[in-house]
Amino acid sequence: MVGLILKDLMTIQRQMKAQAFVLVFLLVMAIFMQQSSMLLAIIVFIVTIQAITALSYDEQSKWDKYANTLPISKADIVFSKYILSVMLMIIGLVMALPILFFINFFTNNETEFFLTFNLIVTLALCSLAVLLPIYIKFGSIKGRIVLIALCFIPGFLTGMFKEYIPDMPQTFLYLKQYVYLTPFGGLLLLCLSSLVSTAIYKRKEF
Amino acid sequence: MNAIEIHDLHKGFEGFFLKNISFSVPQGTVMGFVGENGAGKSTTIKCMLNLLKKEYGEILLFGKDHVEHELSIKNDIGVVFDDLHVPETLNATQLDKIMSKVFQTWDSGYYFERLAQFKVPKRKKIKELSRGMRMKLSIALALAHHPKLLILDEPTSGLDPIIRDEILDLFLAFMQDETHSILFSSHITSDLEKIADYITLIHNGEILLSESKDALLYEYGIFKGNSEEVNDLPKHAILRTRPGTFGIEALVLKKEVNEAFRLERPSIEDIMLFFVKGSV
Repeated sequence: MVGLILKDLMTIQRQMKAQAFVLVFLLVMAIFMQQSSMLLAIIVFIVTIQAITALSYDEQSKWDKYANTLPISKADIVFSKYILSVMLMIIGLVMALPILFFINFFTNNETEFFLTFNLIVTLALCSLAVLLPIYIKFGSIKGRIVLIALCFIPGFLTGMFKEYIPDMPQTFLYLKQYVYLTPFGGLLLLCLSSLVSTAIYKRKEF
Repeated sequence: MNAIEIHDLHKGFEGFFLKNISFSVPQGTVMGFVGENGAGKSTTIKCMLNLLKKEYGEILLFGKDHVEHELSIKNDIGVVFDDLHVPETLNATQLDKIMSKVFQTWDSGYYFERLAQFKVPKRKKIKELSRGMRMKLSIALALAHHPKLLILDEPTSGLDPIIRDEILDLFLAFMQDETHSILFSSHITSDLEKIADYITLIHNGEILLSESKDALLYEYGIFKGNSEEVNDLPKHAILRTRPGTFGIEALVLKKEVNEAFRLERPSIEDIMLFFVKGSV
């Protein structure tokens, strides 16, 4: 497991360095615009999505064919990608938080910070929970197509069942008090997703 | 003990089947696994490694079921494919760090010695290495945890004779330990002639023969003549015939044929061609 995570970190190292420039640019923008939540969202997503980059590199080099000749269980191969993504997210947060506090110190909009933070982390966890099984099942090219198709489903469903959905702002206000629970929900979803991915991976042939 | 034992292996795809694959590789020997492209060599190897799921049949590595004891078996084997399947942004030094976390028996000293011997650059990215270099790196990776069994799937295809010779020497050095074994799949039969103790020939997903190389080379002979001369050969001695440059060529069992018939010594390539393209 450690070997696998190490391999992924080494593989995406270069990619991360390249994206560091984008981050610096965004940082400057966020400071000028005094938009701390935008910065947080971008940092968390860029860093978290690197797990998908690692999967693409694996696919390109047919790494799984080789990894499955090594004394590593299939469950560990899948699980390492989940641990990697959560690790990267934590790194992203650790990187982003001091900057955010710095921006917030000058802008004084701390009230909404906790809400935004929770929602961003939850959204990142949920995206991973959906993305990883799709990429493991379909690979990066087909995975992208399935993903685009999936993006339309929420809109489609909302359109279909519009009349049954209660007043949106009211619902959000009601749900706001539970927002601190959402990252745990996201984490739970990620755990379930890892079980699904492992089941998918175990049926795969290389 | 047999390092590899396969009984009645079946695996089907659309348009291709592995049927009744059975052969074994005794410990301390090199098995050459020959067959034309698409004959089923890689499929058999992938089934052994559980990269493909067999339909039925039994595969034992070191006497243990290959799925039930998958991880303990994989600690003791080294695998080389026809290319190096690791992300191309990595380099040989990074691979050492990764593998030292994968194998408890990983020997960094041995690994870097092999890299130095093969002149593989330690810090050059894999995508910048030539095909020969990638294969040498692949072999160093397969050997550095001191496996007992090497499974090689076309490791020398596409390499020049000099590099192939160096690689074969390394495999011969590996075989100095008599508990070590190699399964070497290739269609370059001259490589197998140098290194193999046994030959297994696969064609259209079926094993046509699995015998010791010496038995094949010394017990078989090729008779070249016209159809009348071939008719004079004892029927039970003829294994296969095929049209030759000056008539008919027949692969025969030497000891069943009178010494008056002039027989040529076959190569593995000849035997492969007789079995694949010849008629019974």
